[in-house]
Parts: sequence; C-alpha cells; structure tokens
Amino acid sequence: MSDRDLYLVGLSHKSAPLEIRERVALTGDPLKAALQELTGRDGVGEALVVSTCNRVEVLVHAQGDGAARAFFTDRAADAGGHLYVKQGREAVRHLFRVAASLDSMVVGEQQILGQVKEAYGVACAAGTAGSYLSRLCNRAFATAKRVRTDTDIGRGMTSLSQVAVELVEKIFGDLAGRAVLLVGAGKMGALSAKALAGLGADRILVANRSAERGLALAAQVNGAFRAWEELPHLLVEADVIIVSTGAERYVVTREMVLAAMRVRRHRTFCLIDLSVPRNVEPACATLSDVFAYDVDDLEKVVATTVDARRDEAARAEAMVEAEVQAFTQERRARAALPVLGKLRRHAEDIARAEVERTLAHLGGLDEKGRRSVEAMALAIVNKLLHGPTTRLKKAAASGDTELPSAAASLFGIEVSEPDAPQAAAQPAQGEDPEAKPAGAAPPLPS
Amino acid sequence: MSIAILRAAVVLYVASAALYLAYFSRPRHARLATVGFWALTAAFVVHAAAIGAGCREFGGMEFFTLHGGVVLAAWLGAGAYLVLQRIYRVPTLGAFVLPLVLLVLVPAALADPAHPDVPPEVVRHAAFHVVAAILSLALFGIAFGVSVMYLLQEREVKGKRFGALFSRLPSLESLDRLNQRLVRAGFAVFTVALLAGTLNATVVWKSAWSWDPQQITSVLVWLLFGAMVELRRLGWHGRRYAVLTLVGFLVMAGAMGGLRAFPGATRHAGNYGTEAGAGGAP
Repeated sequence: MSDRDLYLVGLSHKSAPLEIRERVALTGDPLKAALQELTGRDGVGEALVVSTCNRVEVLVHAQGDGAARAFFTDRAADAGGHLYVKQGREAVRHLFRVAASLDSMVVGEQQILGQVKEAYGVACAAGTAGSYLSRLCNRAFATAKRVRTDTDIGRGMTSLSQVAVELVEKIFGDLAGRAVLLVGAGKMGALSAKALAGLGADRILVANRSAERGLALAAQVNGAFRAWEELPHLLVEADVIIVSTGAERYVVTREMVLAAMRVRRHRTFCLIDLSVPRNVEPACATLSDVFAYDVDDLEKVVATTVDARRDEAARAEAMVEAEVQAFTQERRARAALPVLGKLRRHAEDIARAEVERTLAHLGGLDEKGRRSVEAMALAIVNKLLHGPTTRLKKAAASGDTELPSAAASLFGIEVSEPDAPQAAAQPAQGEDPEAKPAGAAPPLPS
Repeated sequence: MSIAILRAAVVLYVASAALYLAYFSRPRHARLATVGFWALTAAFVVHAAAIGAGCREFGGMEFFTLHGGVVLAAWLGAGAYLVLQRIYRVPTLGAFVLPLVLLVLVPAALADPAHPDVPPEVVRHAAFHVVAAILSLALFGIAFGVSVMYLLQEREVKGKRFGALFSRLPSLESLDRLNQRLVRAGFAVFTVALLAGTLNATVVWKSAWSWDPQQITSVLVWLLFGAMVELRRLGWHGRRYAVLTLVGFLVMAGAMGGLRAFPGATRHAGNYGTEAGAGGAP
C-alpha cells in the first residue's frame, strides 16, 4: 500500500478561460455529491473543492492525483490542458497562498478567505474533510488571518468603482436621502452607480441622449430614466453625478455647475467623470463645495494601491513560506510516530512468543522464575530499541523522513497512513484520530 | 491637596492622549482607542476628585480664577467628549481633543494655584453662571477640534491627496454635522450662561449692564455664534463654517482667558466689587 499525500489539481483565471471555469464550477448540493464521489474512489481519503468564479481547485488526500484530475475531465473534456497539479509541500503552499489572497486576480482582495472557509464547511458537511484537511485548512485560515493583520496587503482601493465609492463615502458618509445621477451609458458608469447604490442612495437617476439605451440602463441599475434636456435641473436634484458618455466635448460645464450650486444653496456636490475624453469641465473642481474627479484622479489611487500591495505581497509570501515550512515539518514528525509504535510492538511480539516457548520447554518453573524470564526478555527489547527510538524521534522532529522509512523497511514493518479511510468517511468533529498513533500498543515499561 | 490629585489626573490624560494618537497612526489596532477611552474615563474620575477636593479647599472660589476655570473647562471638555464618544463613536476625534485638553491642563497643573479671594456672596450667586459659561467654552472647544479635522479632511478630499489622513478621518458630512450640533449645543448653553449672568449682575451689582469688558466680549461672542446658528439655517456649511468655528472659539477663549490674565480689568476677575458703581458704568 503506497503512502497517501496531498494533491491539489485545479484551474484558475491564470490557467484557464472563463468558458472552461464555468463548466467545472460547482456549488451547493451538486458540490456535496461531487465530494462524496471523490472520496468514493479508490485511494482517496479526504477531499475538498474550492469553487469560485476565478478558480476551481480540488484538494485530495490520496494515493494519486487521478481522482482529482477525473473531477475536471469528467465535466469538461478539454480541461486537461489547463490543469495544474501540485503535490505535498507544493500543494500546501498553494492553498496557503490562495487563502491569503496572494494568488488572486486582485492581490489582497478580501473575499477569497471566506470562499475557502465556505468550501471547507461544505466538505465537513459532506463528510469528506477528515483530520488531515482539517489541520491543513485551519492552518491556512490562521496564516491568512496573520497575513491580513500583520501586513497592509488588504489595504487600499483596487478598482475605479471602489475608489468612487470610497470618495463619495468620505464626502457624504452614506447616501441616505440622496440621489445619484448617472449621465451616459458607459460601462464603468453603470458599475460605479451600482456600487454607489450600496451606500444606501435613495434614488438612482439615469440621463442619456438615447432614450432607448437610457431606459435599458435604468432597468439595469434599478434607476429612473430622465430625459437629456432635464440635465440642468438634475444637477440640482442629485448630489453625486457620474458622467460616462462618449461625447467629444464637455457635457457638464463650470457654468452649469455654478448655476446649479446657486439653486442648491451650495449643498455639497460630487462630480465623477469616468469618460475619456473628459465630459466634465476641469474648472468645476475649483468651485467651493464642489468635489470633482476625473479618471486620472481615480487611476492614481488604484496605482498607489497596486504599488503598495506589491511591496506588502513580498512580506506576505515570506510569512506564508514560514507557515508552510512549519506545517510540513509537523506532518513529517507525525509520519514517524507509527513507525515507532509498530517497531516496538513488533519487537514485543517476538519477545512474548520467545518467552512462551522457553517457558513451555523449561516447565515446572515457579512464579518467581517465570517473572524473571519475562523481565529479561523485555529488558532485552528495551535496551535494543532504546537507541533507535531516540534517534527516530530526533529525526522525525527535524523533518527527516528517510530514517523512519529506512527503519520500517529494515525491520520489515508495513506502515499504513495515520489517517485511516474510515476516519475520512466519518470525520469526528473535534476528535483527532492521530492523537494516538494508529498501531500503538500499550508501551512496556522502560 | 487638590493639585496633587489633579497632577495624577494629568498623568492619566497624557496616557489617554498617547493611546488616541497611537490609534490615529495605526487605525487597525482598534484596542488602542478602547484602552484610550478607559484611560480617559479614569482621568475624568480622578479629575472630578481633584475638583471636589478643590471645592472643599477654596469653597468654590477657584472657579472664578483662570486656573480653576481652565481646570473646570478641561474637565467638562473631557466629559463632553466621553458622552460624544458613546453616541457617535468617532475615536479619531480623541487625537484632536485630548491634546487640546492637555494644552490648557498641563500649565494649570504645573502652577500652584494662587489662593483666590472672591466674596462668598458672589460665589453663591454666580456659581451656575460660571459653570454654564465654562461648559459652553468646552463644547466650542470640541467643535474647534472637529473643525480642524474637517479642514484637514477637506484638503485631502478636494486636493485629491487620498493619503493617510484621508483614510483615517471620518467623512466630511459627519464632521460637518457634528460641528453643527456642537455649535448649537454650545450656543444654547452660552445663552443660558449669559441670562444667568445678567440676573446675577442685577442682584449683586444692582445693574444688568455695566460696560464691563467681559460683558462686551461675551455679547460679541454670543452674536457670532448666534449668527452661525442662523447662517446654518440659510445653508452655510462645510469649510466656511469650520473656519468660523475656529475663529469663534479662539475669540471666546481669548476673551475669557485673556481678561483673567489682567486682574482688575474686569469685574469678572479681581475686583468683584459688590458696591454699585465700582465698575464705572457711565
């Protein structure tokens, strides 16, 4: 029986186009069924599937990556060429990096940790996450949390609409009781308007030259369409204006804003121009109580965030690497424990059998004599094993796997995986089957 | 005795200010603000004990001196901040208000208070007037801190800087609103203080108005803040309002503190003369 190891097979925004990712993505009950199907395969102990819009990754604690590969090729025959496969330490590192948002499209984004946690929750509910994956995931979560709190990787704004929201929030707090006006049907404008709706805007108004597109856009952003001619009046009604048209000249001029501000009694006014070429006259920004921004202003914020995050990512990678190192060393140390138990039991079995045989030969020995023979046999076992035991423990702690496996083959011991398959089938919450090594017999006094 | 307790309170205030400033520079460590809040609460309690001890020592006379007035103003300011913190939860404000508290309190704690000599009947009559006037000063003091925050944030937002201050300071709208509420509350308390003072003057000085410099400046300050409350109704807000608040507070603090630095210049300090006409009313 070959050793089980951790395998990670997956595809992400870096390796596969959306058309393939969407065919293999799974959620809810189908995901549970797929997990159980995975652990139902030969040689698969535990399984976990992380499925988001940017990545689908299958983690298995198994004898090979076959089952995990099949997960993809069964669903999308042409997925094979886009898969990456990682084993052991590499797989651990990959999961840690994903959870810490170092592998994300936008490095440092906040969602991914929650998504991995959810994936782990589903695997627990489906009964496919055993002690190995539990340890692994908890370590990954703790690492991600450390990265988040100890570095600035999650700070700053990474998209134009996010910057727009942040700006508006710093000006108005929230938008309760206020109206957002979307001028033009540009894609960025619609995205930003939607994002701003999250600040609790009362109404979203849409003004567009073409009524047809305007109406469609209004439906899309849950807003009300207003005729283009109403624009001067709308500048009074709305508090935040997002301009995103394809016009070649200024749609909103300083004069228009000045007039509107008089009627508004200088109520604070925020203009965000997402169009190139610009549609809002730059001089608007000089008016008092008017806050005006163009694409360049917003892009600058994004650029500083990206720069800052790049620096922080290096620090985060180092933290992740240290955690991966610690985790794999722990695993190795654990892997040596069964060898020790088996070795001792093996020797004790021999000693016991020889004692029985000797006693049968001798016959008529009194209680004291029998005890002496037994004690002598055990003393030989202990003396003989004392050196190897200490050295094996030392080797295991320092991450050396060769010595334990050499010992196993030297003594002819077959060491099974510490996580028995049944442990994976019914993961006992909070119970650790490894607390006692699988083959440990009650140790003899030494 | 009271000065020793006051010095203990100052130590706590310094700790609280340090915590709030540390929180401002590292906003991710929210516990700094929490611990700062409790340090401030402790400082407030010890400060209260110092004031209580002072009352027993000087029988309330000390509130009529610059020293006692400053001590009381700092205490009321700290208390008002604690209440605000409970309602609005703007921990970054601590980094602006506490240095202000320390600015007036540290010199007061270092100096030994001169034994005040205020006629007991003045103390009896004017205690409420004095406490109300000082409370309104404390409220305008917090409004001063809020206005500084507003102007800093406006510079960030309008100037497209988006630096460290941008992310740490609250939104312009919330600062503007808080400023407005503080000015309104301060104006209301100040109005009460003036009415009480007029009543006291009528009783003690036998004349409501005696062209006392303190009376004149108080009316000017009252008009200024009254104008601010009215301008607000007309739509004034934001930057101009914040600048007005700064000016208003400085004028008020200058008038209240400055006049006390010259004993005898006003019947509010030094010559509380109860004999009619001592103030030289025309």
